[in-house]
Amino acid sequence: MSHSRKTVAVVGAGTMGSGIATVMARAGHTTILFDIDEAGLRRGVDTVHGFFDNSVRKGKLSAGQASAAKAALKGTTSLADLASSEVVVEAVFENLDLKKEIFGQLDEIVSESALFHTNTSTLSVTGIASGSRIPGRVVGTHYCNPAPLMKLVEVADGRHTADWAHRATLEFLGSLGKTGVVTKDRPGFIVNRFLIPWENSCIRALEAGLGTKEAIDSAVPGALGHPMGPFRLLDIVGMDIHQQVATRLYEQLRDPRFFPPPMVERMVAAGDLGRKTGRGFYEYGDTRLFGS
Amino acid sequence: MNTSSVPDLATIGLLGFGTMGAGIAQVMAASGRRVVVLETDRARLDEGFALVGASLDAGVTRGRLSENARTSALARITGTTEIRDLAGVEAVLESVTENGELKKALLTRVAALVGEKIPILTNTSALSVTDLAAGLPNPARVAGLHFFNPAPAMRTVEIVRALHTGEDLVDRLFALVETLDGKDAVLVKDRPGFLVNALLMPYLNDVVQEYDDGLASAEDLDAALRLGLGYKSGPLEMLDMIGLDVHLHATEAAYRATLDPRYAPPPLLRRMVAAGMLGAKNGQGFRTGEEGGR
Ligand SMILES: NC(=O)c1ccc[n+]([C@@H]2O[C@H](COP(=O)([O-])OP(=O)(O)OC[C@H]3O[C@@H](n4cnc5c(N)ncnc54)[C@H](O)[C@@H]3O)[C@@H](O)[C@H]2O)c1
Ligand SMILES: NC(=O)c1ccc[n+]([C@@H]2O[C@H](COP(=O)([O-])OP(=O)(O)OC[C@H]3O[C@@H](n4cnc5c(N)ncnc54)[C@H](O)[C@@H]3O)[C@@H](O)[C@H]2O)c1
Repeated sequence: MSHSRKTVAVVGAGTMGSGIATVMARAGHTTILFDIDEAGLRRGVDTVHGFFDNSVRKGKLSAGQASAAKAALKGTTSLADLASSEVVVEAVFENLDLKKEIFGQLDEIVSESALFHTNTSTLSVTGIASGSRIPGRVVGTHYCNPAPLMKLVEVADGRHTADWAHRATLEFLGSLGKTGVVTKDRPGFIVNRFLIPWENSCIRALEAGLGTKEAIDSAVPGALGHPMGPFRLLDIVGMDIHQQVATRLYEQLRDPRFFPPPMVERMVAAGDLGRKTGRGFYEYGDTRLFGS
Repeated sequence: MNTSSVPDLATIGLLGFGTMGAGIAQVMAASGRRVVVLETDRARLDEGFALVGASLDAGVTRGRLSENARTSALARITGTTEIRDLAGVEAVLESVTENGELKKALLTRVAALVGEKIPILTNTSALSVTDLAAGLPNPARVAGLHFFNPAPAMRTVEIVRALHTGEDLVDRLFALVETLDGKDAVLVKDRPGFLVNALLMPYLNDVVQEYDDGLASAEDLDAALRLGLGYKSGPLEMLDMIGLDVHLHATEAAYRATLDPRYAPPPLLRRMVAAGMLGAKNGQGFRTGEEGGR
């Protein structure tokens, strides 16, 4: 695949930001990872480096490729360092005002032709774009967790997204080896739009005693070709995250299928969030999520 | 699997040799059971044997089955168009066309032949097992044994306990499924859609509605759900596979039985079926008509 090397900034070095920065650096783009929080930034950079080290151990990257990828990554806590970015991917907390403010600040720093991507899961791309003086350059690019391993990126234009930005985004995602799927600026895009009611209906089936969690987790993949059952998946996603996403979608759609069933609130209250706390629907000895 | 010992329910009287009947015949024969299949005419029997043969051949080609196992499995299946040839079977498994009146009439005649003790099982997807059982003598020996398509490949088998199904029969069915290669049984209630389809149908309806509402192209909807969630197939290609008419019929039945709007068929589904677009079987569906489509 031949493509030009770009300078890409990733704003927010959390779970998604560090994963997205990994994707950018691995594809050969000069990657600037920014976070306001010094400790958060350090964790993010360590996560990216750790991923590349693991890839070498697994034989997926040569030592040379890994050190080139690491060299392509720079961490910073100063927004001014993002000046030369051609693409900015925003992955800060899921907060509309914060995301708008960041794009507004970036307007003053980067060139007018830079693309702004937002990784929001549940907010409106149009709303976030309104934070920029040039809403035409803002595109929703929703990566999946873990970003380095998942090929899918959902692409959603806001009401004012320009054609050039849409086309450049798809081309850029192609250069990353991602599959960009075009959808609309609607709550949940495609995957969460269908996953949330699906998981909720499985939880309701469990609450109604239609089967045990083990039975449902066996029957569903064995009949439908899913890689795992709904409760195993919820334990990976985290009940708190499921609750947040479901509630946010419900607030926008007012469709009861999106509202988290009572069991979700109970599990969150009990601290049974899934693998990350050692217990969700199932018990886990090991709270690590992904090897690399 | 031990083919030298005689399994429980060693001879299955199978009614219907269509898509599901052929798959089930193969699965039962592979477990060492004898299968006597009843069909309406010779041509349907020939088609059923052709389906089983092709599926077994694919197993041999992929190295999952020996030539020997293929031949002996086929040899254990015999076809007939005469109900009386079912005399002596140890269980009846019904997988004829999804039509309540047809199934009831046929099962009444078969029950009269085999007597009151022989288990009668139905592979129905959308009808109530309790309702089918109610018209037969000794409904305690009636249960659902619901396979998924393609039966040889899909691991899950739902054991449907109707209101009168005896506990001993449930136990026997769990033991039966244990002897089927790679299958796992799950006990489910006799509710519309049982367990898996009760969850699946609202999801498929929801996708069709959003597709009609322009959320994304059919190809992109499928790609997002396949890549994002690791599903083997996307919802629209799955609908093409199931058959749009088959899904419409099932979700309509669930809607009638529950009045739950999640089962209400989306208008586009109804229109496509009315237009003769049935999915993969006639090459016209959500994905099958596509340029370079799968
Ligand atoms: N976690 C997922 O599975 C997932 C999947 C897809 C999309 N998303 C979306 O991605 C975004 C980030 O989610 P996450 O799970 O990575 O969150 P996270 O909490 O792990 O990371 C957020 C990071 O943003 C940083 N941050 C906060 N304010 C900032 C600012 N003003 N400037 C720079 N950095 C700032 C925080 O310090 C933190 O490191 C959210 O919009 C979320 O909805 C999450
Ligand atoms: N196709 C699926 O995905 C699927 C999955 C699970 C269960 N089922 C259920 O399995 C059953 C069969 O479905 P199918 O998809 O195999 O249908 P099909 O149309 O492929 O086959 C039905 C067969 O029944 C035969 N038949 C009709 N009346 C008969 C009679 N009086 N005696 C003997 N044979 C008769 C027909 O000739 C036909 O060959 C239905 O109850 C259906 O709901 C289907």
